[in-house]
Amino acid sequence: MTQSFTLPLPLRILSILCLCLILTFSAQAQDTEPPKVFNAEYYTLDNGMEVVVIPNHRVPVVTHMVWYRVGAADEPAGKSGIAHFLEHLLFKGSENLEPGEFSKIVRSLGGRDNAFTAHDYTAYFQSIAVEHLETVMKMESGRMRDLAVPENEVLSERKVILEERSQRTDNDPSGRFGEYLNAALYINHPYGIPVIGWRQEMEALSHKDAYDFYNQYYGPNNAILIVSGDVTGDQVLELAKKHYGRHKPVEITKRNFPKVPQLDGAAKITHSHPSIRQSQYQQIFRVPSYRINESDALTLEVIEDILGGGATSRLYKELVVEQKIATSAGLYYDPNRWSDAQFVLYATPAPNVDMETIEKAMEDELRKFVVFGVTDEELSDAISRLQAAAIYARDSVRGPAMIIGRGMITGSSLESIETWPRDIGTVTAENIKTVAKRYFDPDNSNIRTVTGYLLPEEKPETTQDNGDAP
Amino acid sequence: MILRKQFSIFALTALLFTSWVNSPAQARDSFLDIKEVTSESGITAWLVEDHSIPIIALSFAFKDAGAAQDEPEKQGLAQLASNTLDEGAGNITSEEFQKELRDLAITLRYNSGRDHFEGELKTLTKNSDRAFELLALSITEPRFDEAPLARMIAANQSRIRRSQSDPEWMAARLLNDKAYSNHPYAQNSGGTLSSLSALTANDLREFTSARLAKNNLVISVAGDITADELKTRLDSVFGNLQDTATLKSVPDTEIQNQGKIFLHDRDIPQTVIQISQPGISRHHPDYQIAQVMNFVLGSSGFGSRLTEEIREKRGLTYGIYSYFTDHNHAQSLSISTSTQNSNVSDMLNLIKQEWTKLANEPISNTELSNAQSYLTGALPLSMTSTKQITDLLLSIQLDGLPITYLDDRNAKLNAVTVDDVQNLASKLLNTDQWTTVLVGPSAALESSGVAVDETIATLPNVE
Repeated sequence: MTQSFTLPLPLRILSILCLCLILTFSAQAQDTEPPKVFNAEYYTLDNGMEVVVIPNHRVPVVTHMVWYRVGAADEPAGKSGIAHFLEHLLFKGSENLEPGEFSKIVRSLGGRDNAFTAHDYTAYFQSIAVEHLETVMKMESGRMRDLAVPENEVLSERKVILEERSQRTDNDPSGRFGEYLNAALYINHPYGIPVIGWRQEMEALSHKDAYDFYNQYYGPNNAILIVSGDVTGDQVLELAKKHYGRHKPVEITKRNFPKVPQLDGAAKITHSHPSIRQSQYQQIFRVPSYRINESDALTLEVIEDILGGGATSRLYKELVVEQKIATSAGLYYDPNRWSDAQFVLYATPAPNVDMETIEKAMEDELRKFVVFGVTDEELSDAISRLQAAAIYARDSVRGPAMIIGRGMITGSSLESIETWPRDIGTVTAENIKTVAKRYFDPDNSNIRTVTGYLLPEEKPETTQDNGDAP
Repeated sequence: MILRKQFSIFALTALLFTSWVNSPAQARDSFLDIKEVTSESGITAWLVEDHSIPIIALSFAFKDAGAAQDEPEKQGLAQLASNTLDEGAGNITSEEFQKELRDLAITLRYNSGRDHFEGELKTLTKNSDRAFELLALSITEPRFDEAPLARMIAANQSRIRRSQSDPEWMAARLLNDKAYSNHPYAQNSGGTLSSLSALTANDLREFTSARLAKNNLVISVAGDITADELKTRLDSVFGNLQDTATLKSVPDTEIQNQGKIFLHDRDIPQTVIQISQPGISRHHPDYQIAQVMNFVLGSSGFGSRLTEEIREKRGLTYGIYSYFTDHNHAQSLSISTSTQNSNVSDMLNLIKQEWTKLANEPISNTELSNAQSYLTGALPLSMTSTKQITDLLLSIQLDGLPITYLDDRNAKLNAVTVDDVQNLASKLLNTDQWTTVLVGPSAALESSGVAVDETIATLPNVE
């Protein structure tokens, strides 16, 4: 297979320490407690901060993460990009630290640090030798409530985020294509605004904007601390109480995402650009996340695997292997979202294949799913794959912290993450048919979908010599 | 199939095997417990055992079997081999082969670089028998059937077409062409649109029969496998390979087109900048000094001079990094960055300033100790998974470094002095030796004062 098409494993991949337990699990009596995947330990501080510890003693390192339940979807109107901008600014001065000093100290201790912003969350992390855990915890706690960013740093960092927008989006038409599709799918909803922000709004973001957002959302009771690595729960809890316990809770701003308006007609976005040499097809549906509907989300994960998960999936086999109308095809689903998630079908058309052909083939596959469902063998193979693939996630220090963080910050309980392999095993063929029909039945005109064609620019027609003498 | 004993979760977590990295608190001789294992038929591997997780990882390579061996009209052969070795072998068709890998949660894939042809296997212990069987088949009996071959060619061609709207890819293509001019490294290691179309199953069979042998095989293993088990596996997987590879010799080369600036004209808001100058080999006695120097210059991002001056102080870029590349036949020190078109001239001048400053003035003691602290302290961060360990070991083997390399590395880093860095920097860093590539709009760049030596309209070795 080709390297460049590594498909993401289901994002809730987890690990089990003993495979035998997975295999025999379905035979066990109902009252047996299910095995936990990470054996993570859970605590809450008095100020409301949640604490998760994932012990892993293979290497004397830790990954220390703080996840804030605030992201681009919480931004005030007209201030797109402020959540991500604030993430940058958290490195530009805080309690006892000069601008830039945070990362320099981490480096000088042999560690690495970074952060990321999404629609639903902002997370900060360091990976470092375990003996420096307290140092990074102290610094991280210092910027939870004591940001100290000078005005001139705001101005220079604003240039940096504009460069980032250029690099990730404006320099490449497929980046912009993604933005258009999201905007069309999430009408009247903050997910339709890119996390990086719209350029003209980014250019106007101010010191005050950043501080207002920070003061409103950055507090211990709006955050989850996750430490993975060569530690015990007791060790981390003691340090957490000492360093994070001192912060007072903030008032939680309730999230109220608007409902989807009932719009008639599917949306089609066609984007042509002279630099495009390879057309791309995408089709998106709004579907539930774990938080919105856990049972449907689990079913959608199984559907993702069967319909679009790699070289053995239906979409790949039909479009790429059998019909040869595409050079790649698949499906992507991230269930870890606070509001609605997306089912993203994609295909790279083969040369001289038009978009309508791809669209029809996709429609046929979706229809087959809705009408005929899946075979028992497809179902059990998919569940085995998902459960077995999940084991690998334990083979990492940072990985479990990312998985648990993404799940919990978007509304899943730690327990549901720990029992995911058992839960995925309860999905039935009936569930699959029902869920397929509910969310992506191509013959149901009430289900709105957004289809995108990314195309080369049409060449002007050359005048033909039709043989007539001048 | 081997039946495993049932463990309870609690029993497993209670078994605390000694961490495989020896922390500073433990005074041991070796940094990492690496064993050299040799099978009965003489195949050698490096092994780090760890039975705390039921996973086995194997990283291996055929030295010098990579893209540099491809004939110019057969560019992409090594790449295509890497895509088709796992598309059916023995009596197993491509679909069946892929399905087995997926159903058993086995990772088996190949990857071709300019120098070496690499492979990786990752499996749960319980599926290891089948995993090693599939690996053996893929190496010794690949089918190269027509349909999967055509599919992989088409997929590569899509990849190339997609890359043509990616300015960073385009900059790298042009830089390889210019820096390695007249050398196989200038070829497109992923193939060209036309060269890929011409590749056949026969070409692939010639690839395997020439380039895959015991005498250029290098293997690293980590995880839930003992030395004795590994010996058996080595023979069963690799035992039937021919003894000797037939490889053409590739000459050494210096970085070419030094002092020149090349532009590929593209109408984009941000110009991509890539620069290469001569570098240093991992074998060179000054290599650790060079690592310290490069940390100060730009390899670490935050905390480095380039990031400090160009991103932190002036906000001119989202990222600027300097990095060494040590190929078998060429060594370089390179810069990769991007900036708004109107800032390109300033950016180039700022980088030149930092180059010159580092070449002429000693670094501070603080800069030295921060670099040493990071380079020594961060190594365990590259050992937090089974595959990271095998990748690390494989890279040491491919560079022909000894099994004790990691043990000596920290001492060497800690012995570096400010004078050492100054001596090396003054010899190595030379802006006159820069080969520079820009991808951006020529009109805007010209009007902002960037002196381009040559504008390249069509990228070489793409079509």
